[in-house]
Amino acid sequence: MSGNTSPYPVLPLLGRGLLAGGAAGLTTGLFGLLFAEPVMDRAIRLEEERSAGGGHDHAHEAEELFSRSTQYFGLVVTSVVVGLAVGVFFAVAYALLHRRSPVHERPWPRAMALAGAGFLALSLLPGLRYPAAPPGVGDGDTVSERQNLWLAALVIGVLGMVLAHLVRQRLAGRAAPVRQLAVTGVVVATLGVLFLLPGNPDEVLVPATLLWDFRVLSLASHAVLWATLGAVFGALGLRAAARAAEPAAAPAPAPAATSAG
Amino acid sequence: MSLHPGTGTAPVAADATAPVRDWLIAATAIVVSLIALYAVFMDNGNVIAATGEYLHEFSHDGRHLFGAPCH
Repeated sequence: MSGNTSPYPVLPLLGRGLLAGGAAGLTTGLFGLLFAEPVMDRAIRLEEERSAGGGHDHAHEAEELFSRSTQYFGLVVTSVVVGLAVGVFFAVAYALLHRRSPVHERPWPRAMALAGAGFLALSLLPGLRYPAAPPGVGDGDTVSERQNLWLAALVIGVLGMVLAHLVRQRLAGRAAPVRQLAVTGVVVATLGVLFLLPGNPDEVLVPATLLWDFRVLSLASHAVLWATLGAVFGALGLRAAARAAEPAAAPAPAPAATSAG
Repeated sequence: MSLHPGTGTAPVAADATAPVRDWLIAATAIVVSLIALYAVFMDNGNVIAATGEYLHEFSHDGRHLFGAPCH
């Protein structure tokens, strides 16, 4: 696909995605460390009490591999890995979406819009269908079934947002209310489709307050990830745009340049 | 407003090949990212055999927090 302009700078965008993704992952990891780990510790203590009273002993086997503090560290590392990977997807999606328009056009709103779409597609919509489960919930025998359902939910979420984008493009000439209601309709319909998938087969044996706290924290972590990713990516885009504008201004004759400090 | 698209793209001869190469690098990055996510979110100690349960347990808290199925 040779565009009508100079080649689209995919690699700078990729670099921006990695930087923004790494920052987002680290922020999310520290957020989780601070707020979610106390809840997970509570869940694990309850799990131990349960299995001590004679359930299956899976929890104990698992506990012995790593100490909790190593798993805290693992949370931060995992978050950074996830952030970097999501940053790559983000950058490539951004490049594909905007490859036909000038590189430095509206970097901030575009980054934030894509981050919002990513949050809906990969976090909020799948998260509403299959809410996160704290440690101690989750049957080893159903894990591959649940993984398939979860992947299906992620794919449906992404397809839904792609469809929403196409609808918005198709209705570009229409009035804003028509366009926005149609896009909202697609998002709601996507959520509806997600609920056609079979439910999570596992029993949830933890107290409702613990479950609620954990699920809110899980969604909050997702929100922190996408918000940081979009903001850093957008800010880097603004900086790149400002830098690109400089050399164009420099060769111009001097007199006008001094007035605007 | 890209008034001077030429300023950033001095090597004009590279125009034809650079985009293809760049998109290939991007595709490679996508594949690497997918493998990384698979290792972190999907491995149950039986898929990536060499790691045993270690990878799973190291990323255990992250899996739960991000809502990936776990046990």
